[in-house]
Amino acid sequence: MGTFVVRRLASMLAVMFAISLLTFLIFQAIPNGDPALRLAGRLATAQQIEDVRKQWGFDKPIYVQYVKTMEKVFNGEVISYSQQQNVESEIWRDLPVTVSLALGAGVLFLLFGILFGLLSAVHAGRFTDRALTMLAMFGISMPAFFLAAVMEYYLSYKAGIFPIGGYVSLASDPWEWFTHLVLPWVSLAILYVGIYSRVLRSNTLDTLGEDFVRTARAKGLSERRVLVRHVLRNSLIPIVTLWGLDLAALFGGGALLIETVFNLHGVGQYAAESIGRLDVPPILVITMLTAFFVVALSALTDIVYALLDPRIRLN
Amino acid sequence: MLRSFRLLGALVLTIALAGALSACGSSSKSSSSGTATVTNLMGTAPDFLDPGLGYTTQAAEADWISYTGLLTYAHANGEAGTKLIPGVAQSLPTISPDGKTYTFTLRKGLLYSNGVAVKAGDFAYSLERSIKLNWGGKSFFTENIVGAEAFDKGTAKTISGIKTDELTEQITVSLTAPYGAFANVLAFPSAALVPTGTAMSNLSNKPPPGVGPYEITNVVPNQSFSVVKNPNWAKDEIPGIPAGHVNINAKIDTNTQSEAQQVLNNSADVFDWADTLPASLLASIESQASERYAKEPTVSVFYFFLNTKIKPFNNQQVREAVAYALDRRALSRLDSGFMTPACFFLPVGMIGHPKGSCPYGDPSAAPNLTKAKQLIQASGLAGTSVTVWGETRQPRREYVDYFASVLNAIGLKATEKIIADATYFPTIGNVKLNPQAGFADWNQDFPDPSDFYLLVNAKSIQPTNNQNFSQVEDPHIQSELAVLNKVPSTNLQSVAKRWEELDEYVAKKGYVSVYGYEDVPKFFSTRLNFGAAIFHPVYGNDWTSWQLK
Repeated sequence: MGTFVVRRLASMLAVMFAISLLTFLIFQAIPNGDPALRLAGRLATAQQIEDVRKQWGFDKPIYVQYVKTMEKVFNGEVISYSQQQNVESEIWRDLPVTVSLALGAGVLFLLFGILFGLLSAVHAGRFTDRALTMLAMFGISMPAFFLAAVMEYYLSYKAGIFPIGGYVSLASDPWEWFTHLVLPWVSLAILYVGIYSRVLRSNTLDTLGEDFVRTARAKGLSERRVLVRHVLRNSLIPIVTLWGLDLAALFGGGALLIETVFNLHGVGQYAAESIGRLDVPPILVITMLTAFFVVALSALTDIVYALLDPRIRLN
Repeated sequence: MLRSFRLLGALVLTIALAGALSACGSSSKSSSSGTATVTNLMGTAPDFLDPGLGYTTQAAEADWISYTGLLTYAHANGEAGTKLIPGVAQSLPTISPDGKTYTFTLRKGLLYSNGVAVKAGDFAYSLERSIKLNWGGKSFFTENIVGAEAFDKGTAKTISGIKTDELTEQITVSLTAPYGAFANVLAFPSAALVPTGTAMSNLSNKPPPGVGPYEITNVVPNQSFSVVKNPNWAKDEIPGIPAGHVNINAKIDTNTQSEAQQVLNNSADVFDWADTLPASLLASIESQASERYAKEPTVSVFYFFLNTKIKPFNNQQVREAVAYALDRRALSRLDSGFMTPACFFLPVGMIGHPKGSCPYGDPSAAPNLTKAKQLIQASGLAGTSVTVWGETRQPRREYVDYFASVLNAIGLKATEKIIADATYFPTIGNVKLNPQAGFADWNQDFPDPSDFYLLVNAKSIQPTNNQNFSQVEDPHIQSELAVLNKVPSTNLQSVAKRWEELDEYVAKKGYVSVYGYEDVPKFFSTRLNFGAAIFHPVYGNDWTSWQLK
C-alpha cells in the first residue's frame, strides 16, 4: 500500500508539472496575448504599458515568469491579472459549489446508469431494453447545456417549480441548497446516465455468458443473487474507472456550461470567465486542480478495483 | 434489484417533493433599518469596486453614487444629466484665462462613510492612489496634470501640479496645457476622494470609505455586493445628489437568459442596462412588460474603421462607396433592433452631433449599391484584397460577417479575421500589423466631443494600443482640434456649431464608416417605480432614483 501511495504521489507531481508548464506555454504563444496591454487599459500610453510589464514581471524570460508564478501558486499568493484577486481564495470559495454539483450529479448518474444498464441487459431485445436504449441515446446526444436551458425555462421560469439559477450554501439553508441544485444535477447527470447504462449493458451481457455465471445458476442461486453478487460486481469495474475520472473532471470545473446556465459560480464558471479574459493564473491553478483530482480519484478507483475483484492487487 | 427500485422511487419522490415545495424566491426584502432592498442583476461583474481602479460601466454605476469627486454630474435623464455640478467642491472651478489652472474650494463639514472628516489634501492623495494603482484611464491625469507623469514614473513623491491648503480648504490643479474636458476628468469616480492613508492596493473586496449617499459593502468578488445607504450622509448634504430610496443587492448572473427571466417574473428587480436582452425573450418582454421596459439611447458610436494609410481605403472614392453600400438597417437587425442607424461620428446626445442629413444617403433607408459599385470601378481598385478584423462576441462577429459581404458585393475581395475578445483591441491597436478594416466602437468616458475625437486625432496614433484605428492624419481635423479641445466643457455650447461642422467634414471624408448608436434596455420588475427611475447619459441606471411603487 505504501509503495502504491508513493508511486501515485510521484505521478501526481509529474502530471501537475507537465500540465502547468503546458498551460503556461500555451498562453505565452497566443498572438497579441500580452497581458500588460490588457492590464494597462485601452487608453494607456506606450510608456505606461512598459511600466506595467516591468511591474508584473512580464519583461522577464518565460522560464523566470513560470518559476515565479509557480512559487506564488504554492505559497497561495497568486493573483489574477484581470481583477487582481487571490486566485486560491476564489477557488476555495467556489469549490463547495462545484463539489456539491459534481457529487450530487455523480451519485445520480452512477445509480441510474447502473439501474438502467442492468435493466437493459436483463431484458435485452425486449421492450424495456429498447425504451431504455432510446432514452440513453437521447441523453448522450442532447447537449447538456441545451437541456439545462430548456429545463430552466419550463420548470423554473414558466412553471415556477424551481428557483431560476443561483446557489445557496448547504450550511445556510439545506432545503434551498437542494432545490437550487436539483435541475443542475439532473441536467448534468442525464448525459452520463446514457453513457454508463450503455457501457454497463454491454459488460453485463458479456458477463452473463461467462462460465462462472452458469455455475452460479447451476448451484441453484436465486436470479437476484446471481445478478447482484456475480454479474454486477464483475461488470462494474469499467464503470468505477469511468466514474472516478468523470467525477475528477467535474471537481476540476468540467461542468462549466451547467454552472454558467444555472449561474452557480463554481470553479467551472470561474474557469470559463478566466479563459474569456485570457487570465493565465486562474486557468493555471484550475488545470492543476483538475490534474490533482484526476490522479487522486484514479488512485481511489484502483483501491475500489481491489475491493471489487480480489484478483487485482494494488502493487 | 428490488432495493434499486426502492432507491429509484425514493429519489424520484424526493425530487418531485423538492419541486412541489420550492417556491421562487421573492426579492421583497427589507433591511434591518427598514429600507427596502432591491435586487439588481448584472451579467458582468464590475472590474474593480475600488474607485481607484474601477473603469467599466458596471463599476462606475456603483462607484458614482458612493464616491464623489470635486465635480460630478446632475442626476437627470438625457442631456440634463451631462451637466457638471459641484461635488465635494463648493462650486464649479475657477479657470485661469490661459485655461491651465483650476481652483476649487472644498465644502465644509463633509464626512466619509466611516465618519472621518474630508480634507483638501485627500484630493491629491486620491489621484496619486489611482495613478499608483494603474487605473485604466490614468493617462487622463498623467498627460494633463503638471508633475503627474513624474509621480507615475516614481521620480517625484507627490504630484507637483496639485496644491492644497488645509486651512482655506482650497485646491489648485495646474495643467501642462489647456484641456477643455479636464473638468469631466475630475468627475470620474477615480478622481473621487478617499481618506489620506487609504492603502495603495486593490481594495475591491472591502472598498474604502467615500463621500456619497451610498457605500459598497458585502463584496463577494464576481458574485455579489451590496450598495447600502451611507449612515453619514445627511439629506441634501450636496445639492443635486439625491439621498436614494432603497438599498441595492447586486448579483452577478452571467446567463442573461435567466437574468431576464428573473426580472420578467419579478424574482429580481433590475436587468442591468449593459447586458443584452436575449432575442428569444424580447417578444415576451415587449408584450408582457411593456410598462416596465424601454429602450434607452446611449452616447456611443459603432463603426468600421478603414485604414487610410493603405489600399484600398486610402482612396476617397472607396471610402465613399463603403458609406453608400452599408445597409445600416441590416446591422440594426443583427443587434435585435438595439441600434439606431446613423452616419455621424458624434452620437445623438453629444454636443456637436450634426443636425443635417448624411452625405451618402439616409442611414435608415436602403443602401445605394449601384452607386457604390460605380465608385469602386472608378477608383481602379476593384478586386483589391481586404482583411476585415472582428471579435468573436455576438453580434460583433455578425457585424463583420455582414461588412465583409458588403465589401465583396461592391467589388472588393474581403476575407475575415476573427480573434478572441480579450485580444481584439490590443491586436488591432498594433500599428505594425496595419489592419485594413474592422469593427470598432466607443462609449463616452465623459460628455465632451473631444473624448470621441481622440479616435481620429493624429496624436493618438502610437505603436501599441493605438486607438486611431483608421490612422487618420488630416490637417483640418488637427487644426480644429487644437482649438476645440481647449474649450472648457462648461462652455461647450459656445463651440457646438464648430463641432458640428467638423463632424460633417469627417462624415464626408468617410474616414470611419459609422453605422449606428446603440440602445440599451431599461427593464425593471413591477415592484419598482419605472417612471421615476433616471437613465443617466453617463452612468446608465441611476441607482439613487430607484424607489418602490
